[in-house]
Amino acid sequence: MNNPAPTGLSIDQALIEANAHWNAGQADQAERLCQHVLAIWPGQSDALHLMGLMAHAYGNLDIAIDHLRRACQAPRVQAIYLSNLAEMCRQKGLLEEAEVAARRAVTMDATMVAGWNNLGIILQEAGKLEESLSCLERVVGLRPDYAEAHSNLGNTLKRLGRLQQARVHYVRALQLAPAYAEAMSNLSHLLNDLGEPDEAMAAARRAIDTNPRLPDAYINAAAVEIGRDRHIEALRWIDALLSFAPLHVGALGVRATALRQLDRLDEALADARRAVAAAPDDGETQNILGEVLQAQNKLTDALAAFDRAAQPSGFASEKALINRGILLMEQGDRGGAEATFETVLARSPRSVAAWFNFADLHRFEPGDPRISAMEALVAQDGVEGQADRTALHFALGKAWLDAGDAERAFDHLDHGNRRKRATVSYDAARTERWIGEIAAAFPANRLQRPAADTAGSDLPVFVLGMPRSGTTLVEQILASHPHVFGAGELPALQEVINAAGLYPAFATTVTLEGEAALGRQYLDRIRPLATHHRRVIDKMPSNFLFAGLIHRMLPEARILHVRRDPVDTCLSCYTKLFTREQQFAYDLTELGKFYRAYDRLMDHWRAVLPADRFLEVRYEDIVGDIDTEARRMVAFCGLDWNAACLEFHRTERIIRTAILNQVRQPLHADSVGRWRPYAQHLMPLLDALGIDPALPAPDDVAGGVSKARTKRGPRLVAG
Amino acid sequence: MTPPVFDVQAFEAEIRPLLTVGKGREAEALIRPLIAGGAGPVAVWALLAQALRVQGRVQEARPIQEMLVGALPGHVSTRFDLSETLLLLGEFERGWREYSHRYGLAHTTRIERKVQRPRWDGRAIPGRTLLIHDEQGYGDTFQFMRMVRWAKARSQATVVLEINHETAALAERMGGFDALTVRGQIPPPFDLHCEMMSLPHAMGLTLEDLPGSPMPYLSGSPERRTVWRDRLSPYPGLKVAFLWAGRPTHFNDANRSMTLEQLQPLAQDGVTFFSIQKGPTEQQALTPPPGMTVVSLSPQIADFEDTAAILCEVDLLISIDSSPVHLAGALGRPAWVLLPLLPDWRWLQHRTDSPWYPSVRLFRQRAWGRWDQVVDDVASALAVEARAHRDGLQQERAPIFPNAEQPVKVRRLG
Repeated sequence: MNNPAPTGLSIDQALIEANAHWNAGQADQAERLCQHVLAIWPGQSDALHLMGLMAHAYGNLDIAIDHLRRACQAPRVQAIYLSNLAEMCRQKGLLEEAEVAARRAVTMDATMVAGWNNLGIILQEAGKLEESLSCLERVVGLRPDYAEAHSNLGNTLKRLGRLQQARVHYVRALQLAPAYAEAMSNLSHLLNDLGEPDEAMAAARRAIDTNPRLPDAYINAAAVEIGRDRHIEALRWIDALLSFAPLHVGALGVRATALRQLDRLDEALADARRAVAAAPDDGETQNILGEVLQAQNKLTDALAAFDRAAQPSGFASEKALINRGILLMEQGDRGGAEATFETVLARSPRSVAAWFNFADLHRFEPGDPRISAMEALVAQDGVEGQADRTALHFALGKAWLDAGDAERAFDHLDHGNRRKRATVSYDAARTERWIGEIAAAFPANRLQRPAADTAGSDLPVFVLGMPRSGTTLVEQILASHPHVFGAGELPALQEVINAAGLYPAFATTVTLEGEAALGRQYLDRIRPLATHHRRVIDKMPSNFLFAGLIHRMLPEARILHVRRDPVDTCLSCYTKLFTREQQFAYDLTELGKFYRAYDRLMDHWRAVLPADRFLEVRYEDIVGDIDTEARRMVAFCGLDWNAACLEFHRTERIIRTAILNQVRQPLHADSVGRWRPYAQHLMPLLDALGIDPALPAPDDVAGGVSKARTKRGPRLVAG
Repeated sequence: MTPPVFDVQAFEAEIRPLLTVGKGREAEALIRPLIAGGAGPVAVWALLAQALRVQGRVQEARPIQEMLVGALPGHVSTRFDLSETLLLLGEFERGWREYSHRYGLAHTTRIERKVQRPRWDGRAIPGRTLLIHDEQGYGDTFQFMRMVRWAKARSQATVVLEINHETAALAERMGGFDALTVRGQIPPPFDLHCEMMSLPHAMGLTLEDLPGSPMPYLSGSPERRTVWRDRLSPYPGLKVAFLWAGRPTHFNDANRSMTLEQLQPLAQDGVTFFSIQKGPTEQQALTPPPGMTVVSLSPQIADFEDTAAILCEVDLLISIDSSPVHLAGALGRPAWVLLPLLPDWRWLQHRTDSPWYPSVRLFRQRAWGRWDQVVDDVASALAVEARAHRDGLQQERAPIFPNAEQPVKVRRLG
């Protein structure tokens, strides 16, 4: 404004003044002085550097990098210029150029704190964690009051899985700089991993309050909500972020994940594709796209996305490999999947996701060194993430059961279930009461009224029952029939019913036309899946809650109830960590009580539903005589017999439930009556079920609906 | 088959013009049905908040604005709007916090000074140097200069005050800092900085801290005062400096400014009006309304030193909300301020005094745009003042009472 043109100034003086102006935030004066210097001496390093810093401060990263690159070409370039170039390249995602520049910087000046700090975070992003750690430890050694360095060190420690140490450094950063929003946000992410979602959410909120334009804080808040299955809440945080950063790649990715969890797959795909378009080289984004494609059964595309995700160095590649393994597992390529997980474990022996999936596939023998490796990870100084520790306990439970050590197996299973139970809020008494109300809401006279005629209501076949009772097996057998499409576990019915009102209360007042309308809504949801098939199987087990209403909505629909020995069913639930919440399954007593409530409700449905629409099959009978049972089920579905149903384990279909790895094998009888050797570990369950383990196996625990029952015993063979 | 899609943008285009002319009640009547179910688009709630504000129903707007910030925490302009509401309600703690987003707005991001040192957070920093720099409005500078001395005491730092050229001389006489530098020049080296308007947040300023000491904190130049005393002495009666319009580029100028014509009812015997109006409307003083004795000082006012000296030598300033009001307040000189129905946050609500300036008296609109009522109130008060002056009484300023209809409610903040 009132500065004359600085013509009389020497270059040195002009640079001193330019820097002083910029320090005080007076960009115009500083820029004028820099231009003055560059006019006299084009390529003058200090002037270019300052121009770059200013461009960066005003958000022009590309221009800034351009200036800095030229500044760093000077023969007498200063180390700090290289360090600043390194940081700007990191921000641009140019990790290789960044690393070269940062290394040049600290080679020139080994005492430069900023250089080591920048190198530390570059190495961290490149996945070179041990090196990153030593850089950042050097930084806090040189300058213990450097808040940003403590936060960066926390990030590296966190990625190394050293969560408690990471926490110490985040807390230190916040002591040094109480309004440091990034550190609050980082702490939030860590607390979520440590199994403290409420504290994590509070930290994310604090971060947003301190800096409402900090995208990571919103993403971390959303991650907390996704972690506790509150996907709608997660979407709210992401939408709040997208309202001011509409093309934020991370936000689009998280929204795609939340939408995928909500089965809103088309929307999820749109977001994932937008994210990939904005950042095609970002591995995490490719991964998210792959997960959505996988959920849509577009397996080739999904695999391609996982392969692209595995390309760049960094963290996305591990995740991509695991996703690839899970996909192979779902396709039935057990060998390929196992090899993939072993590849990950060779590279990252602490990858819990790899161990967890590997354990599910692998049959452990006593003395397998991999059991000891997992034991070491849950020991005192092992992995610290709470969800990770829970998963490891389940994996170890499985491994020790394989290896024949029930004592150790149940020790781990009890631990894992207790930990998981602590993260869910479940009211057993309320659930039992609710299930009782459902039966009362559908007395025989209500169900036997004439129903409205709904065209095409014979399309769906509902396969339902307890989780782990054999619903996947039944679906697999039927879906091997050329006229049947197996759609898997669909949330559609529950969504249609939830939208209609409070269940079961609304069902007592709904009109015939209202019932038919619900039926049409459901059919609209599944018809696109059917293509040329005559039957679509919806095998959401929990649809057992709605069997009566299904019959009212869709009078021609078939309902196939799969039963299995109660203790075997519950034992199987107890040994699994479900991906969808099964909140009753993590405590033996609650599990037994839930089973009893389910059993009573099924007694009711059996009494009131017509036999041509409601069929019960027993898992044990299928295992004992698949031929008879398969024919019975196909006939019930109103279809002609097809021999493909007996070759179900060859069907090229995707299976996505916890039972996956058993269905891919020919039938094993070792899953029948499996619980007896473990009775002493199952006492709370047996008490709740009212079963005395001392008594011999009753001939028909489940109530006698099977004609093939007598064949069961002699056909049992060891695994 | 599908229900018609509600067009939020078209609705906004319909409502905004109503709000800018103060038709809050009409706007509210159009908005309410859209959110009758308790839910509605964010933009519609934002319109409702503004419709309540322009009716002066600020307390009712507040929970809506807080809800909007809760839903869209990153929407900085919503936070800034909330800060104005909170400060207007005297809720300083959160108000100052949200006010810190003032440089995050679409039209302000480019003007934020990107000082390359950390911002002071209110802690003691003995041995270090703190740069305090003023921002845009002269009124803001006059109002918050008082905090420089307090910041020095709190920080125990060496304080460098950077200030605009036009107010530097007043700052120099004020003192309370270690060095003074003028904006645009290179300041001495410093370790931390703080914008003048960020001092309240950094220091946790509460209503109870006001007006603070010393009060007054500015003074006129003795030399200029002599000049102006001589210049004004020939004129008889009560000497009233006045102005009627603010800087036309101010975002709220249409709402705060008047014309000289509208002040005609102030004309009365025994009062000489001195126009200190600057800018495009200063010529109006040359053709004053009938019956009004107006002497235009505007051409002779070179800078704020002249304005300050005039304010020290007249009996009273009568003004719309503009920088000379703050100058008078900081000088401890009597000033009467004519305020619109929805005033700037610093005048708070429902009171005739100002906690910032003991010598300032507030005359508020009772209905949107009704300056006539305000001018009548001021004329009555001025008649009392003029009579007292004529009777040669050493007139005590009228004690400050809260508005009879609206008792003062100042919430004590922790």
